[in-house]
Amino acid sequence: MNEFVERLVGSVELALPEVALIVIACVYFLIAPFLLDTSRDGRSGEGPSYLKHLWATATLAAIAVAGSLWLRMEPTAEALPGPFRIDGLSWYVRGLSLASAAILTLVAWARVPAGKAAEFYACLLFICAGTSLVAVANDLVMLFLALELVSLPTYVLLYLSRHDAAGQEATLKYFLLSVFSAAVASFGLSYLYGTTGTTDLVAMKTALALGANGPMPATLAIGIAAIVAGLAFRLAAAPFHFYAPDVFQGTSTVGAATLSFIPKAVGIVALARIIGTPEALATGGWSLTAVAAPMLAALAVLSMCVGNLLALVQTDLRRLLAYSGIAHGGYMLVGLVAMNPTEPGVGLGSALFYLASYGAMTVGAFAVLAMLRVRGTTDVDAPANAPVDDRVNTIDDLAGLGRSQPFAAALLAIALFSMIGLPPTAGFLGKLNLFVAAWSGGWRWLAIAMLVNAGIAAYYYLRVLGSMYLRPTANVDRRSVEWPALAGGTLCAAATIGLFAAPDWLWQALRATGNDL
Amino acid sequence: MIGLLPVLVLLPLAAAAALALLRPTDAQTARWSALVVSLSTLAISLYATYELSQARPLRTTDPVAPRYELRQTWMTVPRLGDAPDVRLEFYLGLDGVSALLISLTAILTTTAILLSWNRIREGRTAYFACILALESGLIGSFCAFDLLLFYVCFEFTLIPIFFLIGIWGGQERRRAAGRFVLFTLCGSLATLGGILALGAAAAERWNLATPFSIPDVAAAVAIDPLPFALQVGLMLAIGLGFAVKIPLVPFHTWQPLTYVEAPTAVTVLLSGTVLKMGAYGLFRICMPLLPDAVESIGVPIVATLSVIGIVYGALCALSQSDMKRLVAYSSLSHLGFVTLGLFALNVEGTTGGVLQMINHGLSTGAIFLFVGMIEQRYGTRDLGRFGGLATRLPALAVCMIFVCFASAGLPMLNGFVGEYLSLSGMFARNPAYAIVGASGVVLGAWYLLTLIQRTFFGPVREPQTEGPPPPDLRLREFAAAFPLMALCLAIGLYPKPLTDLIQPDVDRVVRLYDFNPVTPQVASAETAEESDDR
Repeated sequence: MNEFVERLVGSVELALPEVALIVIACVYFLIAPFLLDTSRDGRSGEGPSYLKHLWATATLAAIAVAGSLWLRMEPTAEALPGPFRIDGLSWYVRGLSLASAAILTLVAWARVPAGKAAEFYACLLFICAGTSLVAVANDLVMLFLALELVSLPTYVLLYLSRHDAAGQEATLKYFLLSVFSAAVASFGLSYLYGTTGTTDLVAMKTALALGANGPMPATLAIGIAAIVAGLAFRLAAAPFHFYAPDVFQGTSTVGAATLSFIPKAVGIVALARIIGTPEALATGGWSLTAVAAPMLAALAVLSMCVGNLLALVQTDLRRLLAYSGIAHGGYMLVGLVAMNPTEPGVGLGSALFYLASYGAMTVGAFAVLAMLRVRGTTDVDAPANAPVDDRVNTIDDLAGLGRSQPFAAALLAIALFSMIGLPPTAGFLGKLNLFVAAWSGGWRWLAIAMLVNAGIAAYYYLRVLGSMYLRPTANVDRRSVEWPALAGGTLCAAATIGLFAAPDWLWQALRATGNDL
Repeated sequence: MIGLLPVLVLLPLAAAAALALLRPTDAQTARWSALVVSLSTLAISLYATYELSQARPLRTTDPVAPRYELRQTWMTVPRLGDAPDVRLEFYLGLDGVSALLISLTAILTTTAILLSWNRIREGRTAYFACILALESGLIGSFCAFDLLLFYVCFEFTLIPIFFLIGIWGGQERRRAAGRFVLFTLCGSLATLGGILALGAAAAERWNLATPFSIPDVAAAVAIDPLPFALQVGLMLAIGLGFAVKIPLVPFHTWQPLTYVEAPTAVTVLLSGTVLKMGAYGLFRICMPLLPDAVESIGVPIVATLSVIGIVYGALCALSQSDMKRLVAYSSLSHLGFVTLGLFALNVEGTTGGVLQMINHGLSTGAIFLFVGMIEQRYGTRDLGRFGGLATRLPALAVCMIFVCFASAGLPMLNGFVGEYLSLSGMFARNPAYAIVGASGVVLGAWYLLTLIQRTFFGPVREPQTEGPPPPDLRLREFAAAFPLMALCLAIGLYPKPLTDLIQPDVDRVVRLYDFNPVTPQVASAETAEESDDR
């Protein structure tokens, strides 16, 4: 144990951006209570409204600090034994998590109550640090800690941003299932440790590669099955998806935006780290990739079908996006399935490329939803004293958006076209890469299932687009312009178009990650 | 010259983006700038076509060879194993066929903008932005020489069309927009699957670094064709999307509703140019890349569906009482001659098919134009409510009769040249199809003459209109229609410049189907290297 601690301390500099984020977040928790002026407005826990601008700006600055540390770190190819590693994969995931945290800050800016802003953004910083740590971790224990560093603040974040009855129910539902899935995943990790005798990922894979003589022990398969099940919960892959629509509907928009992207990123990266076999070790041995591939393929096809078919009948936008997220999780799993032993970078790269495209489109869509207000409640069943819910809830609420708020509508339309997979958007190239990876990796039925699903999915996205542009009545308040959320949505839309026009730099970087597994 | 190609594609797109940012009240600016942009695009495309007709012919024997080309790597897709990466490219090129179709697109876009000058009442900036975006997508797909780039542009056109129909269409616009997009999207997903499978097969078989480049794959195919079963599968998959777009008969159910509901200017663009992407795809992708499947399976399928379409469309047109619906079915019928000619697979027929693409765009576009003018004047398209309009609107009547004659294939007008070449080409391949197809010419004359007779002759009957009696052809309307009519006449009288322009490209493709195929002198390995180097 002592040795572990020593190594941990010695390699802290490898995780400098995360350390910075965590330290800053802790400072938030320390300072925040003293800034709340309970005497002035009489209500405890409410602070002056400048606080939310202060904390949001501070958060952007913190992310910028971490980002500059990130840029100064060169990814090194060789994996040293130790709890952390800096390779192409972690370099990419770090960038992605920092960028998504910055955009989520913009989305949350105007929506978070001033009194809770500090805690909210602190949780966001923890989540951001945890997401990068999942990729940086080179050790099963570290990996599990990183996963929990994402989960625990997520519960708080969901609760802080909305704490009426619906929000509480959503938070509780997510909490219970998430804890359960963490238990299942850690059970699987323990089997992996038990079989290979090490928690170090590099050493573990070397041990597996050397285990060529003799049949693969069943404990490994059980372990992998448990890990896949536990992480499939994060991906909201069917049949572990049941919480997603309810939670998305119940929680705040920024909470839903966070949930739609961060857990998926975490799940994909953790799965890739655990089951991926590096190129160098591809020949012979026991391959976790081969064991996991059929399971992942089943999950992928089930998620795509369940997500898309159930999304067809949704009228609530958040439920629709939740189901669409389930389907997109299925698409990403296709990339992991296609991680071919001879060149894992193809499958992994396509999954990671899609992850970035998906992040841009889904966070972009939620950013637009976050800033729109309808003109008064339409919910006749609500009790009289319930707070007026002025969020955009249903597809019908978006009617006439193309006229009342053309710019916001255009941003949402770009995100939706990217979800359909129409050019010129990143969603098209992302699906194309996944298709090519699956097809050339020998998973042709999976590739075809993907194309069929892309056709089905077009229908419900078109319904939303149709409501926005082809219907006259305007429910959305014209004045509801929130500049930060608008800026966040614009950045996402720019990324969606930009990744289509100039994809090569990212794609080349991602393909090289095949060596890093 | 080469630098003009990206300008042709990007100028309308950039203008569309700029227009989309204008305030909705800037209608005047919007329509004038749209007109200026479309006129400049037209000027550039005509200049490019002229340059092309003056250029020395290429001496290569490759089935597809653009005379100007511009290649830029877009992204590199990995291939498993030790083989080198596969490059996807922004590969724009120009040959005779694409130059003509680009010019047609530019002409019809200008026409559409002039036609919608006063007719679109709200959201004009967005409307003109959509029209220009559509133009950009169309031009892009006509000068794309990379399979994926073609597909990208092909699909991109769905976005502006969805808005154009859904926002500015008629009563049933939402249903029409949704149906159009879903039908063509499902078809083109099959095309995407086929294109990707074709690229994968090309990379595997010939070790091409650019397996999506149409000229490179075509050169490889000419020497070492793909296995027959694979070709058939690819042709069915790729062809499905094109068949929905053209549309060939069992896939045409989206068409009447879409044509009737779309604003007239958009109907002109749809029938004149958007559908040509399907026929062009057959010519550019299926014919040179999958020759065996096209010859053995494609010809019977496409020719049968074409003649069914010709006759079925004509019979449906005969029984319509709605003018726009009548012209929609007539368009379906006349497009049959395009595919019939293309799949004759000889110089005569294929030249006729390509020429008929242009002719159909000009004459059907013009008929829709005049039907739209009548509808605008009287607010109805019901044939039963019109009669003797020739005395009320003499100039409009003369123009309309002229374009109906052109469409019906009257000698000395353009329809005759295209239909004659198509049918005589098909006659050489399989007389049965040509004979059944020829009946469509007769039926076409019948329903078009009925349309003219019921609308313009006989006792004067016109629907009640408020205000002053509707004016005859306005100058702006005439300006929109005149180029189309002039071209109808010019092509009918002297089609040689056009046939000269497309002949070399058609020649190279149909050489694949020649009864005495040219045996390549070079060993296959050398040629594969060559195509890699290019």
